[in-house]
Amino acid sequence: MRVLLIVLASVAAHAQPVVAPTPQTAGSPRGDNAGPYNITNSWEVGYRFRDVDGNNGKYRSDVNFGNGVRLLGGTLGVTSRDGKGKWMDELLLDARGLGNDPYQFSSFRVQKNALYRYDLLWRSNEYFNPALPIAGGDHFLSTNRQMQDHDLTLLPQSKLKFRVGYSRNTQGGPGLWTGQWFDGRGDEYSYFANIRRNQDEYRLGGDLQIGRVKLSITRGWELFKDDTNFNRDTLTPGANTTDRNTLSFLRRDEPLHGKTPYWRAHLLADLSKQFTIHGRFTHSDGQRDFIYDEFARGTDRLGAGRNRQTLLTGAGRRPVTTGHATVTWMPNNKVTVANQTGFHQTRMEGDGKYSEINNGSAGIAFAQFQFLGIRNISNTSEASWQPFKQAGVFGSYHFAERRIRSNEQEDFEIPRGTVPIEQINRNKAGIFGARLNPVAPLRILFSAEVGRNDRPFYPTSDKNYEAYTARASWRQKKFDLSTDFKSFNNANSTSLYVHSSTGRTWGATTGFTPRANVRIDAGYNYLLLDTLTGLAYFADFELVESNRSYYVSNLHTLHAGVQAQVQKKVDLYAGFVRTQDRGDGRSAASGAQSVFTAAQVFPVSYASPLARVSFQVRANLRANFGWQYYDYAEKFSRAQNYAAHTGYVSVSYSF
Amino acid sequence: MGLRLLATAGVISCWTLGAQTPAANDSPFAGSNGCRPCHPAQALQFFRNPHFKTTVAKGATPENMGCEACHGAGKKHIAAGGGRATIPNAFSLMQPNQVLDACLRCHSKDVNRANIRRSSHTQANVVCTSCHSIHRSDSAKSLLAAKQADVCYGCHSDVRAQFSQPFKHRVNEGFMTCSDCHNPHGANSGVSKTGHRPRMVETGLQNEQPCMKCHTDKRGPFLFEHAAVRVDGCESCHSPHGSTNARLLKRPVVFTVCLECHNGSGSFGRQADGIPTQSASHNMADPRYRNCTTCHVRVHGSNADRRFLR
Repeated sequence: MRVLLIVLASVAAHAQPVVAPTPQTAGSPRGDNAGPYNITNSWEVGYRFRDVDGNNGKYRSDVNFGNGVRLLGGTLGVTSRDGKGKWMDELLLDARGLGNDPYQFSSFRVQKNALYRYDLLWRSNEYFNPALPIAGGDHFLSTNRQMQDHDLTLLPQSKLKFRVGYSRNTQGGPGLWTGQWFDGRGDEYSYFANIRRNQDEYRLGGDLQIGRVKLSITRGWELFKDDTNFNRDTLTPGANTTDRNTLSFLRRDEPLHGKTPYWRAHLLADLSKQFTIHGRFTHSDGQRDFIYDEFARGTDRLGAGRNRQTLLTGAGRRPVTTGHATVTWMPNNKVTVANQTGFHQTRMEGDGKYSEINNGSAGIAFAQFQFLGIRNISNTSEASWQPFKQAGVFGSYHFAERRIRSNEQEDFEIPRGTVPIEQINRNKAGIFGARLNPVAPLRILFSAEVGRNDRPFYPTSDKNYEAYTARASWRQKKFDLSTDFKSFNNANSTSLYVHSSTGRTWGATTGFTPRANVRIDAGYNYLLLDTLTGLAYFADFELVESNRSYYVSNLHTLHAGVQAQVQKKVDLYAGFVRTQDRGDGRSAASGAQSVFTAAQVFPVSYASPLARVSFQVRANLRANFGWQYYDYAEKFSRAQNYAAHTGYVSVSYSF
Repeated sequence: MGLRLLATAGVISCWTLGAQTPAANDSPFAGSNGCRPCHPAQALQFFRNPHFKTTVAKGATPENMGCEACHGAGKKHIAAGGGRATIPNAFSLMQPNQVLDACLRCHSKDVNRANIRRSSHTQANVVCTSCHSIHRSDSAKSLLAAKQADVCYGCHSDVRAQFSQPFKHRVNEGFMTCSDCHNPHGANSGVSKTGHRPRMVETGLQNEQPCMKCHTDKRGPFLFEHAAVRVDGCESCHSPHGSTNARLLKRPVVFTVCLECHNGSGSFGRQADGIPTQSASHNMADPRYRNCTTCHVRVHGSNADRRFLR
């Protein structure tokens, strides 16, 4: 078959992880003129199908594509040809997955040069997660999250701009929760949740530029509501079916309403060609008021009837203040020196009054007060020097001091005069690196970072750490190859409980265009992670302090893809992605007790080959077919394994 | 083929122009119309480009209009009959800091780019033209050389591998983008982990980690805060890109996430005397006690119980 030498369109240069939507669009990329405007558009409508063998819940957690018709993708562009449209100069619409996909997206922009610009971003995510390993498989979520962001800028190209914005984030759907009743030796029960969360944010702002100075101010208000309620009205014996604990009824309402008004201000100034300064200040006042109202009925461990009513009211507050000041000095075009000082302060404090009624008799009641304050002051100095075109060096030094204050009180009446506990942690870190460009296609980068924290907050925090990075890339028109290596080591030791972690990744990615209409790309990545931490826990009423948590991950990821265009009318793609964690190489899970001493591993493989064909039927019509297979296999247990065939057929049409 | 003929004609036309006597006007700027005959592919589609508005901006001076706003005065280039050496800003020949200077001449006032000179990308000589393609982008908004994730994966192969895991944020599916959490132009020092690591992570709207932009129910404030979440951030327990472990946790088994910190040792924790071990009523020999979140359901913070039981 004669193959014309057609330069491939600049579509995904790497193996595309999802088979749809089809990257090739219908219609001419130059569009059609309609009066003073030029219009481009392409709409892909199709049918997705899936066939799942194995754990459908796990498939829905990882992939979640179902059967049905949907708008797989669509674009519309209306552009003024002379930039002097009457009401608008540009309209852009982009959509993906609308109608039936679990992940839907749409963006819209309309603007008139120098007058206004409006942007809308809308997203929807169907989240399904049975997550068997969590809480014995009793935590379940099937929610829909929708997010939308609106931004209007007036006079976008002028020195004085005005900004108005609105964002909304909602999450809703059913879920399964768990909890323990009625005392410390009780049982655990699952119950239903009706999740309802809303967040609205309003923004007003303006930018002013005078000479070399620009000031930007934003005032915002964020309102948040969580009206999730929980219930169970059927008898359940709980996780332990042999004891006498039961739960027969549960009702819980815990509305949480809050607001966070905030200010943000930025000042940028080019004092001269060599000096720039940037200042940033933000302040927000978060407050959440809450009520907790619960009634539970069942039997206790002795088989006696129990009911308990719990009531809690209170409020939490979190003011946050952040400031940054940055000075950048560029004495010539070879040297850049920058210094940033940062300040971040937050405190979380709250009051609550708790009361409990057991079997109709007043039980405990107390008031609570909590305070956690975090203040962080940091300074970072950075320098970069490029003495030659082929070589340059850079370095930085970072110092930070963090103060944490904490006060926890629980009593019938809270005395507020107690002094909170205070601790200070200092971090010092230095980075040195070099970048080389010996010949035009070759770039090499090295960097090393060493950091020390004198008082990390918890055992697995960064304490004495080193990070190394090396990259090399060769990029030419028809061939590119990049390799990288990263290493991160952290040791955080106390007298008996040592934590150390080592993570190393090696990666290589290449792309090759042997002919103008063929593109091959492939990559491999290896992540080696092992961590060791001391544990303390109770087993059979004895405190065990001699065991360790040892986690090993040997994660290999491979991807490859071939893309070809035939006769300017047929686009072919075949790809493959495989991930495998080999753990420590063992072939079977260890016994129950040895889970504390043997390495924690989770050997699993996850593979997904895919293929796609797109035919140009006419200038404004394409037919597309795609198939993608998912194979998820855990080595130790088959309970969550699945194999799924998915695919789609679609047409892309341009009006 | 038509485009090739047009381009050929354009080159001839350019050469012809070059042979003409320069205009009496001694301005070094020729105007964008002077570029069209030799560069028809760029010129014909330029009206779609966000930079096109410079050509119709009222009161704009020649050095801030059209082709010459980025590439510099072009009269000499036309007079010479073309050639990269005769155009002040031939981006394919420029050094990274020169590319930055050229773009920041107009784009430096965007607060999103306030840290670009000190960013990790700039330190690695990854500058504007490493990610953006002004004349050959499929995206009219941000002029990226490819889809955002593909641009980032081109260097960050380890991140690509992480997003290939079964549990991941939906970047490959199009629901999220890298810039939802990161600022590729450089970010201010962060709000957790003493503000140093990880770099290039943008602060959220209320001075928080970007996770709270979507996961607002975890923001609080709560009466009982899980201090590790507030002090060192969500990465204390989660791997935000992708993981083989459920809920993007750092360990496959939940109790190891918890007990690696709750071991009572040292001067850790908010009271600086060790993070409390579990209650003596627990029995880790019983599998019921190995799923901590069965009972401790509100681990991100609770208003009702100091042990996060409700």
